[in-house]
Amino acid sequence: MKKIKVAKGAKINKTKKGEKILLLGFPGNGLIGTFTISYLIAHLQMKLVGDVSHPDMPPTLFIENGEVLGPIRIYRKDNIYAIISDIPVFPEIASDFVSSIAEFCTKNKIRKVIVPSGVDTQSTDAKDIKTYGLPTDQTFEKIMYENEMPKFIAGSIIGTDATVITTFRNYKIPLLMLYTTCHPFFPDPQASVAAITTLAKLLKVHVDTTDIQKRIDYLKIQHKNLMQETLGALQAEKQLPSKIPPIYR
Amino acid sequence: MMPQDWFDIGISSLPMIKFLDDQEQKCLNPLSCLREHESKWVIEFDLPLVEKKDISVYLDEDGMIVVEAKLKETYVDSKGGKSFEYEYFKKSLSLPKNIDTKNISARFSGGILTITLPKLYKGTKIQIN
Repeated sequence: MKKIKVAKGAKINKTKKGEKILLLGFPGNGLIGTFTISYLIAHLQMKLVGDVSHPDMPPTLFIENGEVLGPIRIYRKDNIYAIISDIPVFPEIASDFVSSIAEFCTKNKIRKVIVPSGVDTQSTDAKDIKTYGLPTDQTFEKIMYENEMPKFIAGSIIGTDATVITTFRNYKIPLLMLYTTCHPFFPDPQASVAAITTLAKLLKVHVDTTDIQKRIDYLKIQHKNLMQETLGALQAEKQLPSKIPPIYR
Repeated sequence: MMPQDWFDIGISSLPMIKFLDDQEQKCLNPLSCLREHESKWVIEFDLPLVEKKDISVYLDEDGMIVVEAKLKETYVDSKGGKSFEYEYFKKSLSLPKNIDTKNISARFSGGILTITLPKLYKGTKIQIN
């Protein structure tokens, strides 16, 4: 297994109060993870503390206000940490990527992980948007109950989301997947508003999504290319070769 | 995995080539998806910043479905100190086979154009003994 390198700047200092929580966002259905975590990073004014790299990742850098930024970055504010990926996590590196995040959590005593994501829905009506929780631990079951959050009862999960759930279960780190109904193939900032509101409620922080509501059309066009890249990665997940055992030939 | 030899990369797989936004014509290439159902195909186009009256959908001479839409306002994209202005969406897609072209319908809601293409059924019935 190739190691994901977490830059030295990501060293985390001990916090005086509150359990450490990690928010993880990467491009997926409707770009819900991307929109949700990037909004919270900006809204909470989280500080950039490091980045994540892998030799098999497409070589990509972003320049913002003259500063060179890696595509996968780590932010922190008090006891809340966020890792956001601006590029799709391809299936070839998903396992390495998630395992390294889990080791990062273990090393820095991060006790809970929340991952917002999107789930396909037949309805595109804004009134039908809902966020469901999929917990892997009793801790999150209790939090969901206290916040009256419906539970994700049945379905199938493939790709990077499945890798995230499996890996954190193996590491015994409590994980909550937040699944918001959305259009899976187009950027859905409207649905991400529901995800942001739910996540803010869990974190007990106040958010104002008025700005996103006004910019929904612009956000959809701005993220068109990222969605196209993500669809390529999702397509690659479906085309992973499966080996037929000799007995079935 | 990254290819070993740079020259082995098919140029169509480079991310830059896929975007297909036409800066000269000020045209954006909208996202679209095609889903198959038992009796129909459904094509969806993501058309934010567009009003229904500014959308045109038609079949061209080559049997392609063409969608054109004018943006409510000019969209400006800034990259590397340069600004690019876009005023339209335009995309052409090949139709699947065996479509009932006379009964194609379209609906626009929530910024998404949904085109329904009923399937034409042909063939001979097989008798079960």
